[in-house]
Amino acid sequence: MSEDTVDPAMSRFEERSRELFQNSVAGLDMGTRSRLTQARHAALAAAASARRRPWLLRMPVWASAAGVTCAAVLGVALWFGGPLSPHGQISAADAQSKFEDLDIIAASDESSGDAMDMLQDDLDFYAWADKTAGSEPTA
Amino acid sequence: MSGFDTLPSAWMVWDDPAPAPRGAVLEQTRELDKFLSEIERRAFRMAQVALRDPDDAMDAVQDAMLKLARNYGARPSAEWRPLFYRILENAIRDQQRRRSVRKRFMVWLPGPKEDPDNEAQDPIDSVADGGTPVPERLMQDEAMQKLESSLRQLPARQREAFTLRNFEGLDVAQTASAMGCSEGSVKTHYSRAVHTLREQLGEVW
Repeated sequence: MSEDTVDPAMSRFEERSRELFQNSVAGLDMGTRSRLTQARHAALAAAASARRRPWLLRMPVWASAAGVTCAAVLGVALWFGGPLSPHGQISAADAQSKFEDLDIIAASDESSGDAMDMLQDDLDFYAWADKTAGSEPTA
Repeated sequence: MSGFDTLPSAWMVWDDPAPAPRGAVLEQTRELDKFLSEIERRAFRMAQVALRDPDDAMDAVQDAMLKLARNYGARPSAEWRPLFYRILENAIRDQQRRRSVRKRFMVWLPGPKEDPDNEAQDPIDSVADGGTPVPERLMQDEAMQKLESSLRQLPARQREAFTLRNFEGLDVAQTASAMGCSEGSVKTHYSRAVHTLREQLGEVW
């Protein structure tokens, strides 16, 4: 025990304190002893019932908490770092333009099929309009 | 190493998914019961030295028993003692923290203040075992009270080193394992504790 303390006075002190402690343990009252026995039985019973549960249910709380946290982090990363919103910012003009495109497609004439059909039908007109808009105005 | 380092994996570990054979489980439970019954009284007294209040000490011991049985019951029995005391020291620290928070709030709340020394107890519960003559026993009790009082004034790590080495009889390696520090630190803490205690108690003890 006291291989580091060679001082005999110190050894006597250690022996004396150990003896006093052991006496105090031996003098524990019956009520305390009984409570300790009950605590031991409760601990062993709890451990036994935990052992009987399926191992998946024995997973500690941190496992489910970690799963929820990972899902939340992934969600936030996709929301702010997704291709629709580079650098986490969407300009008001971009948003407006996208909504207008959707409006055009949604509000297209029902008799002409979908919006892509309409665009394909008037392809020559759009090519002419593009050319005209790009050319210099003539005097 | 910090004085507040906690057991890193006591609450993280769960038993192996593969169930042990019934006979082995029974044998292990019996062994654990024997181990706990051997150390429970010393553990209680050590917790009481640190916490003073017997109810807090009982809670700490019960908590340590439960965690050891639940998380480390399947470990080899040779590892139980340092593991148990490491869990117990963490439980003691938790109780001390809880108590300091409670005290902080009690200052602001009306009503009677907590006085653990003044609790009504069943007189039958406090009957100790006979054996030692009364005057000698009284002297021993008084000396032990002085020792306990001095131990409570020590830094937590020194008190841990002293109680584990001297009271529980763990060797340096086991104490280091229980305290979660190096063997050199254990020797230093223990030596300082013994010197301080001797200085305080040597004259009158």
